[in-house]
Amino acid sequence: MKREYVTFVRKISDLAEGRQALFIKDLSPGPRKYDTKLVRAELARRSGEGPDDNVLWIRSETGYLHPQPWTIRILEELPPHVAGQPWQDVFASLKQLK
Amino acid sequence: MPFADLRDFISALERSGDLVRIGQEVDWDLEVGAISRRVFEQGGPALLFERIKDYPNGYAILNGPVGTWRRVAIALDLDPNSSVREIYAAYTERRERKIPQATVSSAPCQEEVMVGPDVDLYRLPAPMVHDGDGGRYIGTWDVVITKDPETGWTNWGMYRFMTHTRNMLVGWPQATSQLALMMKNQFLPHNRAMPIAIAIGCDPLCHMVATDPFKPGESEVEYAGGLRGAAVGLVSCKTHDLMVPAHAEIVIEGEVLPDRIALEGPFGEYPGYRSGTMGEGVLVQVTAVAHRRRPILTLSTLGIPPDDSSIAASLTAATAMKRGLMRRGVPVKEVYVPPEGVTHLVVVSVERGGRQVAQQVLDFFTARRVMVSKVVVVDRDVDAFDMAQVIHAFATKCHPGKGMIVQHYEGRGNALTPCYSAEERRKLNGASVVFDATWPEEWAEEAIPVKASFATTYPESVQEKVRKNWRSYGLGGKA
Ligand SMILES: Cc1cc2nc3c(=O)[nH]c(=O)nc-3n(C[C@H](O)[C@H](O)[C@H](O)COP(=O)(O)O)c2cc1C
Repeated sequence: MKREYVTFVRKISDLAEGRQALFIKDLSPGPRKYDTKLVRAELARRSGEGPDDNVLWIRSETGYLHPQPWTIRILEELPPHVAGQPWQDVFASLKQLK
Repeated sequence: MPFADLRDFISALERSGDLVRIGQEVDWDLEVGAISRRVFEQGGPALLFERIKDYPNGYAILNGPVGTWRRVAIALDLDPNSSVREIYAAYTERRERKIPQATVSSAPCQEEVMVGPDVDLYRLPAPMVHDGDGGRYIGTWDVVITKDPETGWTNWGMYRFMTHTRNMLVGWPQATSQLALMMKNQFLPHNRAMPIAIAIGCDPLCHMVATDPFKPGESEVEYAGGLRGAAVGLVSCKTHDLMVPAHAEIVIEGEVLPDRIALEGPFGEYPGYRSGTMGEGVLVQVTAVAHRRRPILTLSTLGIPPDDSSIAASLTAATAMKRGLMRRGVPVKEVYVPPEGVTHLVVVSVERGGRQVAQQVLDFFTARRVMVSKVVVVDRDVDAFDMAQVIHAFATKCHPGKGMIVQHYEGRGNALTPCYSAEERRKLNGASVVFDATWPEEWAEEAIPVKASFATTYPESVQEKVRKNWRSYGLGGKA
């Protein structure tokens, strides 16, 4: 079954297709909905047709929901945090993970 | 009589008709938030949601404990119909008292405890508050407790916290908050984690004290005792050397990590917008979760006013501002933070006005971290609590060319102010303006326009006669 996730970016143009590390929230219903995972994944702009293609909704830093979801193929799940000191920019740390 | 705990307060709200219990099942995923927001926007009651989807019966959510002036008055054990000025006066007077905490051994908050590998935050009904938030905010109306290891001073603050995973939270105590200063001064230099406890569902005054900007070194728990008129009973945490209110509904214990971070935010915030703070918070490894049987999670579905932030936190902010202005020698009479202005707009009435005083007021508001962007200064004859009078003074006495003083600053502005660009918000750059709606000091008395009102343009003898004969003229209204 296809799963749905959401990710947050400061602005949509920050997001590129291809392989990268990102925080995603699992939108499967139930008491664990919105659980966060840090994953290495392959992103594509097209809507997914393959069996491993899951739906990735994208929101901006104001919570604006982009109308067109992308496709996400999760390659690896990582511990749900990145290196950095409190109040540092998480996205800068994520880039180091690539 | 002080409230023993949140449940005692809930009973009082119910007795006065200021709380509604919702027994029908509601979804923690947006439905609780949507109902709460609509009720806030109607100035309605506190809501106790008693059946939450996916959770055991009795696991409850309380939205808006002090979201109206009536509920603030009840929290302070005043007549629910007290005026805002009376509520301010009572808070100001009681805030001077301090009652030291008491250590207790029996702690309702530890009736059920999950420790270490058993910790599962998803066993608590944290709501998805607004559609588009970064996650489920479990800490929206909390008391966040940290301790300075060198001095032993304990800080209480109210900061937002979001469930990240089953045993991790992310939060956003601002980089200029006292929690941040403690972490930066005492823990980060040694790459040490900072113990933290997040208490949810306390006596309402404990929460209000957490929103009050006390100076470092001041013990908020003693002020909470003073405001309640009885010591706050504290109990030791299960996994850290921290003391927490024993009567709390839920206590989450953990450590702020010094070297790991994760994505926090965004969240629909107190100015009434989700303006985009995200990805610059703290990560907490949760070590224990303690709670009462059938715990009640306090919630404030923040947004456009009124809500707990624009009402109760305006009170704590205003009283702190008045003290600060007095310390600076400003001839301040009253300070009012109108809920509609969400602590961005403040009214200051002064015993004597003029540009110099207006400048002094602005200097106070821009000296440290700046949360306020617009200040209206009015003369003493204007009732600062009456926005009709304030608007009249602003419209007529603030000179459009000379009556505004603007101060720009960098690195200490308000990250949530919606009119700032995303870049300004991230860099904490901003500006504040004072609107001087007082008469210039140098104007001679004979040149000052005379206010054309009943109280100011008629001799006392005429006023007296008119008041005396009011009913005989056949008039109703105020005699
Ligand atoms: C409902 C509510 C939510 C708040 N959330 C935050 C927050 O997430 N981060 C923050 O830095 N301040 C927040 N504040 C403001 C602080 O509680 C306030 O600045 C308080 O004085 C903090 O204590 P401190 O001065 O010890 O840092 C919030 C206030 C209210 C009323």
